Amino acid sequence: MTNTALLKRATTLGLGASLLAMTSAFAGDLNVWAWDPNFNGAAMNKAAEIYKADHPEFNLTFNAFSREEVEQKLQTQLASGTIDGLPDIVLIEDYSAQKFLLSFPGAFEPLTNAFDYTQFADYKVALATVGSETYSVPFDSGVTGWFYRSDILGEAGYSAADLENITWDRFIEIAKDVAAKTGKPMLSLDINDPGMFVILLQSTGHWFFDENGELDIVGNEAFKAALADYTEILQAKEIYKPVSGWAEYTGAFTGGDVAAALTGVWITGTIKAADMPGQWAVAPIPRVDGVEGATNASNLGGSSWYLLTSSQNKDEAKAFFNDVWASNIDFYQDILVGQGAVGSLLASREGAAYQSNDDYFGGQAVWQDFSNWLGQIPGVDYGIFTYEVRSAIATQLPALADGADLDEAIEKIEAEARVLTQ
Amino acid sequence: MAQTRLGRNENISGWAFIAPAMVLLGIFMIWPILWSLWMSFQTGRGMNMSFGGLSNIIRLTEDPIFVKALGNTLTFLAIQVPIMIMMALIFAVMLNSPRLRFRGLFRTAIFLPAVTSLVAYSILFKSLFSTDGFVNASLIALGLSERGVNWMGDPFYAKIVIITAITWRWTGYNMIFYLAALQNIDKSIYEAARIDGIPAHAQFFKITVPMLKPVILFTTIMSTIGTLQLFDEVQNITLGGPANATLTLSQYIYNLTFRFMPSFGYAATVSYVIVVLVAILSFVQFYVARDRK
Repeated sequence: MTNTALLKRATTLGLGASLLAMTSAFAGDLNVWAWDPNFNGAAMNKAAEIYKADHPEFNLTFNAFSREEVEQKLQTQLASGTIDGLPDIVLIEDYSAQKFLLSFPGAFEPLTNAFDYTQFADYKVALATVGSETYSVPFDSGVTGWFYRSDILGEAGYSAADLENITWDRFIEIAKDVAAKTGKPMLSLDINDPGMFVILLQSTGHWFFDENGELDIVGNEAFKAALADYTEILQAKEIYKPVSGWAEYTGAFTGGDVAAALTGVWITGTIKAADMPGQWAVAPIPRVDGVEGATNASNLGGSSWYLLTSSQNKDEAKAFFNDVWASNIDFYQDILVGQGAVGSLLASREGAAYQSNDDYFGGQAVWQDFSNWLGQIPGVDYGIFTYEVRSAIATQLPALADGADLDEAIEKIEAEARVLTQ
Repeated sequence: MAQTRLGRNENISGWAFIAPAMVLLGIFMIWPILWSLWMSFQTGRGMNMSFGGLSNIIRLTEDPIFVKALGNTLTFLAIQVPIMIMMALIFAVMLNSPRLRFRGLFRTAIFLPAVTSLVAYSILFKSLFSTDGFVNASLIALGLSERGVNWMGDPFYAKIVIITAITWRWTGYNMIFYLAALQNIDKSIYEAARIDGIPAHAQFFKITVPMLKPVILFTTIMSTIGTLQLFDEVQNITLGGPANATLTLSQYIYNLTFRFMPSFGYAATVSYVIVVLVAILSFVQFYVARDRK
């Protein structure tokens, strides 16, 4: 090969490379991975729309997967060490935040100096802090409620006042009565998903771990009381419809097969998508009886946005977060009414939407209620092994439903959790 | 014996020809195998790994989930493989009969599942056996069940669903091997048997099965290995549940690596258990099926 030919080839290569660099560095192309396009997707797209008004070149692509897929894709890719194909921004559930931050040091961009964290709810900030650095853009709260069909419960003779400040025993009585009178089970329940048990447990102010992060299961009286209540529900087979997977779980109440859903506020979008205005209402969750400090408020899920260090557009992303997520109060009103997203920006709680009544829920001031319950949630430290322990609990649930001994089951949960949390 | 110059040249070009393949095999197969062996002696969370000696093997002996997954895998193996091999054999003999009409149609119908994607058919089975699925609707319509069976929520029935699914998917695949092997059995053997008045069932057990022995051995080993690696079906149909009743070893490895706090070292240790199991079971099967002289 002659020198000129070599030079030519080098120029073409160089030109190609710079072209490639130009396209990938083209201002503000942000890729986002998250789950639930009706909730997280709608909120993120809304935020992008607001930011785009002032920054026309800004472009955000939302990629929807299931929550498990997002976590597993991210984990696979971070473990492999290749950064091609990673998104710029990823949504991580609060339960898994510490796991990712501790397992993959350096993978997430610290945002400690990007904006003022004192504006956000403390517990959300703490969940994404390792050492002196905080990594998240705090997003939604998972404050729980008992979303029920007011028409069905009304037919069985129950009004909103009958559902307030009750225990789980009373809940089971009501559910049995409703099932007998209307033929509708109260809940849909996936025995593989112990999410509802997690609601019961957090409402007592206790968790799977003690303050040192060690397993606290055998001998944890609150854990035992919550599991006893949950077992009673599992054994009352007429009050729930057994389902498998998330689609069947939501399909059961949006399709009118069951009378209620007891879960996080983020389900609002799904319930509104069912288009049954005026037929729904929200009550506080029942309380675990016999545990000191147990409340009628709890939390399930909730997540935050994280910026990856490998992103080519970190500055753009930080500006976007700062302009919308950390300051725009109107934005939080929009996603509250539209999606039921109870954000973590404290100032947004003073906005108009939080004070308003919602006709979908029969004119109930639901957001005021959720704000009140949010203040009553007992704080717990999720630690880094929530899903491992949840899996150990799920293993024992079918046996408990069939009448296995509670203490024995708790011992088995601890034994299995011990192996998974090594 | 002294090598001729020609022989030496042939040798060199022979090695030269296989060198690219050997290098690729070395990089993409042998190196990862050695690396995973090294990894199986490491412990730690995520990317923070350190040498842990035999601690992963000790963890293995104390791990109830591993025991459960191993038990499930062996249950699938012990129940599903014999059922499938026998069904495949019976189908093959039936479809080999020259008196059967529409043979091509039946052969295609039974082989067709083997070309479907693992994930696609798993999702199909998941919907068939869901609470409001086709199977429950049929059971209720036929009056066999009042509320339908909670297939995915019951540890016993969930296993049945998995076994049904993999049997449906792989029977036709194994049948093709037997059909091909049946073409190689000399027809005169059956003629001689008929002349001697041997009944059909005796012909099957005394002629067909012994003549197919090498193929039966082959399909049994392949199915054993396949079942030990079972992943797609359980991941998509039951996700290993309920109560880990359908969790397989491969899925446990996946969970340890990608679902839970990543323990790459321990996951590598569990995968070496599969290697050892495949080796032992293959050896046993060869030993049982050896030619006794």
